[in-house]
Amino acid sequence: MSAEVLVFDILGAVAVLAAAGVVLARKPVHSALSLVVSFVNVAAIYVILRAEFLAAAQIIVYTGAILVLVLFVIMLVHPEDLPEFHGGRPIQRVLALILGLVLLGEVLAAILTRTVVGQPGPWSEQAVQAVGGNVQALGQVLYSGYVLPIQATALLLLVATIGALVLARPDSPRVRRVARDTATISLGHPRGADGANGVELPALPPVAGDRIKPETGERELVMAKSGDDFLDQPVWGERRRS
Amino acid sequence: MSELTANHFLVLSAALFIIGMMGVLTRRNVLVIFMCVELMFNAVNVSFIGFAWEQNSLVGQTFALFIIAVAAAEAVVGLGIIMALSRRLDTVDIDKVRELRE
Repeated sequence: MSAEVLVFDILGAVAVLAAAGVVLARKPVHSALSLVVSFVNVAAIYVILRAEFLAAAQIIVYTGAILVLVLFVIMLVHPEDLPEFHGGRPIQRVLALILGLVLLGEVLAAILTRTVVGQPGPWSEQAVQAVGGNVQALGQVLYSGYVLPIQATALLLLVATIGALVLARPDSPRVRRVARDTATISLGHPRGADGANGVELPALPPVAGDRIKPETGERELVMAKSGDDFLDQPVWGERRRS
Repeated sequence: MSELTANHFLVLSAALFIIGMMGVLTRRNVLVIFMCVELMFNAVNVSFIGFAWEQNSLVGQTFALFIIAVAAAEAVVGLGIIMALSRRLDTVDIDKVRELRE
């Protein structure tokens, strides 16, 4: 049994060090990769605990799905939006350290003084082997006593999918208009020359009807005074077909 | 070395949970905070499965399975919120997200 303890110690130490790497890494990508290491080690610990199905689920769901999503989001967020590493707020760090040490002490005291009460369950190693393995035994428990929670979980996942669709929806026209007002590059009239200084700008000539070249689908250069003039333009991807 | 007991797993779980908690408390990047929350979920799973192993029960594993499902749902919504933050407010720094406070 000593070998088991040794394996657990190694796996646990790597998991804890990788978790510390998540917190201490300067770049979010490094945090995500440390998280992968931590999750894989924890999955190996699940195997020691005779939870083979959960080890597989851990690797598939966490490292396979969630971490890939996180990496996608890291790539999609603009780098200039990221805050600098641990800028200011040293008091926050000190408070967090004190709170963490206090909580660690409390939990360790609780763990080391606890006593086991209650009857052990029926699923000993032999019983699990008799049904055919961890997956079969877990399935028996899950689908006999926990049918309603499983249905609720299915509903939760559906709602989360719909919520993600709502959150990831393209911006409403009002928001898009603000973004265009601030993002339009006005070649003819430098920003700040109109309105603020009271400089009257000459009216733009009316632009011809269809501004899309139908053959190639490319847009021609449109001179617009402000973002509002630009709103008549079809958005990329919504090409007019006539 | 002695026998492997559930206390080993509980100590590991406590360490992982507190590392995650300190990450949530100290970091300012929403993405890193999200990853630390996942770390805390994982620590709780270790506790559940450790207790299930000690008690020869499978209920703890069942709970851990539900926690993984809930974590997946949370990840989807959380990352959607981070994307919306990055698009609307142009930042993922939680100290700068104070629309409701002012």
